[in-house]
Amino acid sequence: MTSVLTHLDVLEAESIHIFREAAAQFRKPVLLYSIGKDSTVLLHLARKAFWPARLPFSLFHVDTGWKFREMIAFRDAQVRHYGLDLIVQTNRSDAARHVDPFSSAPSVYTSVMKTDALKQGLDAHRFDAAFGGARRDEEASRAKERVFSVRGPGHTWDPRRQRPELWHLLDGTVGPQETVRIFPLSNWTERDIWRYIRREQLEIVPLYMAAPRPTYERDGKLFVADDDRLPEPYRSRVVTRSVRFRTLGCWPLTAAVESAAQDLDAVVAETLAARASERQGRMIDHDQSGAMERKKQEGYF
Amino acid sequence: MSSVAKRIDARAPIFDPRRDPSGLASITRILTCGSVDDGKSTLIGRLLWEIAELPEDQREHVREASRGRPFPDFSLLVDGLVDERAQGITIDVAWRYFDTRERRYVLIDSPGHETYTRNMASGASHADMALLLVDARKGVRQQTRRHAAILDLVGVRHVLVAVNKMDLVGWSEEVFAAIAKDIRDTLGTFAFESVEIIPLSALTGDNVVTAGETSLWYGGPTLVEAIARVETRLEEKRSADTSGSSGFRFPVQLVLRDGADFRGLAGTVRSGSVEVGDEVIDALSGAVARVSAISQMGGDLDVATTGSAVVLRLDRDLDIARGAVLSKPTDRPIVAGAATLRLIWLQTAPPGDAGYIVRTSTDATPVCRLAIRRRLDFASLVEANASTCGVNDLVTADITFVRPVALDPFAASAATGAVLLVDRLSGAVAAAGVVLAAHETATRPDLELTEALLREGLCSDLGTDETSRNELRRRSREVERLFARAGLHVRNTIA
Repeated sequence: MTSVLTHLDVLEAESIHIFREAAAQFRKPVLLYSIGKDSTVLLHLARKAFWPARLPFSLFHVDTGWKFREMIAFRDAQVRHYGLDLIVQTNRSDAARHVDPFSSAPSVYTSVMKTDALKQGLDAHRFDAAFGGARRDEEASRAKERVFSVRGPGHTWDPRRQRPELWHLLDGTVGPQETVRIFPLSNWTERDIWRYIRREQLEIVPLYMAAPRPTYERDGKLFVADDDRLPEPYRSRVVTRSVRFRTLGCWPLTAAVESAAQDLDAVVAETLAARASERQGRMIDHDQSGAMERKKQEGYF
Repeated sequence: MSSVAKRIDARAPIFDPRRDPSGLASITRILTCGSVDDGKSTLIGRLLWEIAELPEDQREHVREASRGRPFPDFSLLVDGLVDERAQGITIDVAWRYFDTRERRYVLIDSPGHETYTRNMASGASHADMALLLVDARKGVRQQTRRHAAILDLVGVRHVLVAVNKMDLVGWSEEVFAAIAKDIRDTLGTFAFESVEIIPLSALTGDNVVTAGETSLWYGGPTLVEAIARVETRLEEKRSADTSGSSGFRFPVQLVLRDGADFRGLAGTVRSGSVEVGDEVIDALSGAVARVSAISQMGGDLDVATTGSAVVLRLDRDLDIARGAVLSKPTDRPIVAGAATLRLIWLQTAPPGDAGYIVRTSTDATPVCRLAIRRRLDFASLVEANASTCGVNDLVTADITFVRPVALDPFAASAATGAVLLVDRLSGAVAAAGVVLAAHETATRPDLELTEALLREGLCSDLGTDETSRNELRRRSREVERLFARAGLHVRNTIA
């Protein structure tokens, strides 16, 4: 009997290969876990890569303090269920006390609460490599990203100094003060993520499914009020609508879409017929042109 | 029925979970290359327009923005080009993904300029076929020859040449015939399995999906038909691979343990297949065992075929580590102390004596000695003797390893016949290469190929003028290539 590999089988095997190569070549890798659908697939593939052994690395979550409560609950449940090591990093510097997602510019907020926190954590634990769930289909500058992406001192990314990456040969040799970001989902598309979640019957944060939620409008987009830190004038304009999320992040900065898709099949069907790109819901990417490019050069994922 | 469901029905579902529970049938990776002004964006855009499942808003955007023009501006679909230029990263390969009903397409779009040849090589090594653009007004240029040589080196076996902008030369059969002859002469130097040369216009769409009225003299396939033909050939090869006609290769990545009871070898089947009960050997140590289980999270398998990432458990505890390549005892890789390689030099610094590490499928070994023998001249596509090289050069080199590694000739097994040379000091990838011949130990060659030997028979018809000498060199390389395919090491002494 011979089995024919579908395109998802091919992508899965490629990701497993990447995880295993990284585990063999790096001294102390870590998995950047952001709780969303891509992280869910990333974690599942990591478990497959090393099964039946335990994951040979920890999970690392940058918590801005503004994540949806359901995300944190989901994270903790996953960690318990699979017996994982979790490191949570929050920026508690002076700078962090002066930014918040409502009054600060989204680019400043991201830089301080996400990028700085990430770099602080990576440095403090002396990780030499970090797995991320970024995909090349997400955005133009990511379309040029390597699987093993070398970062210079201070976690900077220089698009002109990217290394050649040929065949299946992944090389993790780095120079002094260099680290590596590793992207096992490089060749996956958003559609693949959903197809795979459905095929493997993976549990995801319920926020991806439509439900009646307390929403408010800001800059022409719909947001969900997750706790009582929501300031006026939005606070008094909250209306219940049936919405779901295409991506998850900080609740004041992640827009929802109106939807009636209440289960996974309906979400998958809706996503595969989607007419707009996924990151449209993220304010931080639309803050200025070339936003992702700039963030990456600073050390963002 | 909800409005969402209606909308999906109206568009004829591209994804029906009942019909398609686990994804698309397969993936086709196409490298696109050519110079910047050959109309690459328009051709890629046209291809997307014609065969991809594009969101309706993107189509609408193209229609809107192209109002008043005789043809839509398809290059608008190739996202971010202007942006990229502003960001200064057009120098690199861009990966684009799109689906048709049955298939995932990956377009690996490589930069045109020769300074970025190394990025082109990097992208090409992942491609199943290449789409090489030639401008009908300009014909074959040095860049075309350079790209062909790189495609050949990294193992792309199928080339589609789009002779674009045929509308600008009045669909002249003579112009096309002259360019096609040049292309055949150029590509004929290499060992491509299939070459298709298609006259087309990305702008008008003639010969992209359907043949137009404009080229009734052309009897060949359209671009999309040509892609489908290559896909058929690739599929035949894949199923031959899967049914076990090629040698089983399993480079071991990790040893996984779970308590005292579980010890398994993690890796991906790179060619052939393996069944429970099969005898396998680690060529490096000579140790033999039987496969007792093929494990994956979620359940054991009876068979693992090419491309599967699995954990192999053996019936006895062998001292096997990362770097081993498991095979069947009757068809094993070469335990090589030395090899002859074709390399593309990737770093600015020329070959030096600071030292290199050679990275094979999962092994890494210091290099004892690296000797550049010959360098390819892109203008003539002839190799000349050389002892050094620079960035983007294609060379033949002899290499000896500090300790033996398991290798195959690239032509026989791509995954275990490709290597990287890593600069020991900087960690940069200095060169990438393929194995022409791997030698059990650093011994003398199987054949010393001299001019006298060739003139005895194979080249007895040749004189001594420049044309004849070039032909003699070409034949000598052909002999070398054939011997290399048979696993024999030829030392070619002909300049």
